Amino acid sequence: MKKPLQITVNGEIRQFFAEPYCSLLDALRDELLLTGTKKGCDEGDCGACTVLLNGQAVTSCLVLAHSAHDSQVTTVEGLADHQKLHPVQQAFVDHGGLQCGFCTPGLIMSAVGLLQENPNPTEEEVRFAIGGNLCRCTGYNKVVEAILAAAQAMQNKLKA
Amino acid sequence: MTTSYQTIGQPVSRAEGPDKVTGAALYTADLNLPGLLAGKCLRSPYPHARIKSIDASAARRLPGVRAVLTGQDIPENLVGRMLRDFPMLAKDVVRFVGQKVAAVAADDLDIAQHALNLIEVDYEELPAVFDPVEALEAYAPVLHPNFMKYAGRADDPQEHPNAMARATWGIGNVAEGFAQADYIFEHTFRTPHQHQGYIEPHAVIAQVDGQGRLQMWVNCKTPFLLRRQLSEGIGLPQDRIRINPINIGGDFGGKGSFMDSHVAYWLSKATGRPVRMVMNYIEELMAANPRHPAVMTFKTGVKRDGTITARHARLIFDSGAYGAFRPQKGITYGIGAIGPYRMEHSQIDSYLVYTNKVPCGNMRAPGAPQSTFASECQIDLIARELGMDPYQFRLHNLVRDGEESPLGHHWRNFMGKPTLDAAVREAGYQAPKMTPPDLAADGGDWKVGRGIAVCERHVGAGSSTAKISVDGQGQVTLYTPLQDTGAGFYTMLRQVVSEELGVPYNEVSLVPWSTDDARFDSGVGGSRVTHVGGQAVYGAARAVRAKLAALAADLYGWPESQVVFKESMVAAAGHQAVSLGALAARSGGLVEGDFTYDSERDEDLTCFTAQVAEVAVDRETGQVKVLNFTTAQDVGTVLNPQAHQGQIDGGVMQGLGYALLEELKHEDGRISTLTFGEYKMPTIADIPPLRTVLVQSQSGGPSPYGGKAIGEQPISAVAPAIANAVLDAVGASVTQLPITAERVLQALRSQPA
Ligand code: FES
Ligand code: FES
Repeated sequence: MKKPLQITVNGEIRQFFAEPYCSLLDALRDELLLTGTKKGCDEGDCGACTVLLNGQAVTSCLVLAHSAHDSQVTTVEGLADHQKLHPVQQAFVDHGGLQCGFCTPGLIMSAVGLLQENPNPTEEEVRFAIGGNLCRCTGYNKVVEAILAAAQAMQNKLKA
Repeated sequence: MTTSYQTIGQPVSRAEGPDKVTGAALYTADLNLPGLLAGKCLRSPYPHARIKSIDASAARRLPGVRAVLTGQDIPENLVGRMLRDFPMLAKDVVRFVGQKVAAVAADDLDIAQHALNLIEVDYEELPAVFDPVEALEAYAPVLHPNFMKYAGRADDPQEHPNAMARATWGIGNVAEGFAQADYIFEHTFRTPHQHQGYIEPHAVIAQVDGQGRLQMWVNCKTPFLLRRQLSEGIGLPQDRIRINPINIGGDFGGKGSFMDSHVAYWLSKATGRPVRMVMNYIEELMAANPRHPAVMTFKTGVKRDGTITARHARLIFDSGAYGAFRPQKGITYGIGAIGPYRMEHSQIDSYLVYTNKVPCGNMRAPGAPQSTFASECQIDLIARELGMDPYQFRLHNLVRDGEESPLGHHWRNFMGKPTLDAAVREAGYQAPKMTPPDLAADGGDWKVGRGIAVCERHVGAGSSTAKISVDGQGQVTLYTPLQDTGAGFYTMLRQVVSEELGVPYNEVSLVPWSTDDARFDSGVGGSRVTHVGGQAVYGAARAVRAKLAALAADLYGWPESQVVFKESMVAAAGHQAVSLGALAARSGGLVEGDFTYDSERDEDLTCFTAQVAEVAVDRETGQVKVLNFTTAQDVGTVLNPQAHQGQIDGGVMQGLGYALLEELKHEDGRISTLTFGEYKMPTIADIPPLRTVLVQSQSGGPSPYGGKAIGEQPISAVAPAIANAVLDAVGASVTQLPITAERVLQALRSQPA
């Protein structure tokens, strides 16, 4: 039976009902109609469903919605400031870090999670952070380029 | 070659990028409609069985279930992209594990799943055949006794009832060629199923609207062809079916098949409500349309000096239980099997064979990674036997510009040698081989080797239409029937408009058409879009331009031939320029132009690829590590370097997966690799440093501005380059993909001491 819960999603408190077995991914997509987060494998293997849960990048298909009760969730819809893209989003566009775009929300959330913890990562650290995200289009090189460029842009902005 | 253009040749970023990084871009599974139901199919657990009875009464009684359909409830029409051998739901017989036998529409997915568990099917198992070579034996069970009645089959006589198609290509007489040889080599190679691995699974929404029309949203990159296949299956005329535009989350050849489309229609018709069906990834790995496995025997005759006298390839492609997911009539796979080598005698015998496994479909360069693996591995085995360097052996035999190809084509401006030389140079093929210090330090017995492989592939052809309009505000809109699979053509096509009409590419608005809006389009794939879609858009842009120039001539008396389009302005020398919008406004409405481009494949034009792998192999464990990978690609004008490189990076990555990791494993017809944990695709940790050299071909290609093709080119030679590097490193010949540590060890052990 569906039970009530409350999650702060992209800064907004959302109260809704979900089955006890409902994943955070399904809750976001089906209950809150936030379809930017994608479902690839639904088994924790592809990373397309990555969101930030209390600041940590997690695969939302493996998180029960109810276990996120009273938590903070950030999805890809919550990054841009009105029309202005988040630096990670902008870098993915500028550097060709996306093709079909289906893995992209997950990759971007992994990258944002990384840069929040480690604003100045090495290439090795970037590669490690996206090790759980499958992308079948890009071959990953331009994704790494984009994340490093985003880190740089965010650093420059801090200094300015 | 590209210097005289404004935006063509610039690495501009994607105009469609912002939608894809914010989550705004919609894919099929993201859509919602009032009253939307969830559809799901029950699948066969047996590879070959007779359906004795189906009892769906308990499922029908479950609250929240809106319809349950079996083969009894829908017409028996067989469907297919060309060969129509596939029942929409199995009625009497199932021929592979995962075949659909019943379908449910319910208020939500949980109820639908529960209902499927309540359906009882009584099966009687039948003898099955899994190996395509065995399927051609006299004793093999005949899988399709009614084959000769199927629509869309090839006309050639069937050699064996399980051989759905067969073709022979070649020149000369191989027996004569073998008689001239000093040595004759024969090897057999095997390749596995490869799944396309798009991260977005197949999805479809069907809705029978108030007028009885079928409205469909589906991640299909060939909507016009799908509309025909739907019509054949469900009996609605094509103009009663509308396939709506939607983003596609990766294709690689896999998103051209109908999958659940027919079933979704029947469920929608039965319930009067829209139905969404999304395959989960287990279903994807079990029952989608992966690349065909193949068993390939190559026989090659050579003279002592390394000259190839004849080559005979016998290729057996395992189609699985149906041929419905292939768009071609008969068989086209293996046509390039013999390689771009000079020889007077060649023969390719290619078979497509039924087995009780998942039906196969197209994947990036269909047929080519299989035969290129066999062909290019054998080239190295022969070179080594003759004591020649594989590079020299290739140079000795490679077709030169102006010479005849082994199938009798005369490739124009053939770039074989310069491209091969560029790959060898860029990769440092001839430099000393050193084990990287981190590997040397880890205690294994690592040896470094380098391997080359080459391939060539056509530029695709087909038909596409485009329309361009300019309004009184100067807004330029491009309409296209092509659906965005992600390859970057929504940006490239805007660049073409930008180039011709002098407006910024990212201010061109792009509107994808539904199947109602154009007569026909061949769809995305087959190295076609830059050429065919590009020419359609180019033609439409030229048409609009001509209309605007005529208008300017009419209004202002400018000489029509001197009107130029630049920076959103229209100008002629010695006159005051006007804005594009102001000029268009004077037409009294929109200025529009459209163009339909139709083409046949030009067999005398090809694109050449040469790749070099550098690997380290641990003799103790058989582990292979790719240290560097170099691609040299013959190109015409590159319209967008960023997207072009993206195709190379992605193609090489899929080739690396094919070489080292990917295999749908079977046990008695059951696929056991049903998650990405078991069906391993490359992650970033599997990607070595990649290098690319583009080798400019002087004649260019048939795409606008002289572009060639890139989507399918970079994948086929990757696996043989790696296999040849392993052979070079430790002398182990691995003739079966993927090249796992076990297979390397096995090959090492079977080496003559
Ligand atoms: S959908 Fe969650 S990891 Fe694949
Ligand atoms: S962009 Fe298509 S899967 Fe990554």
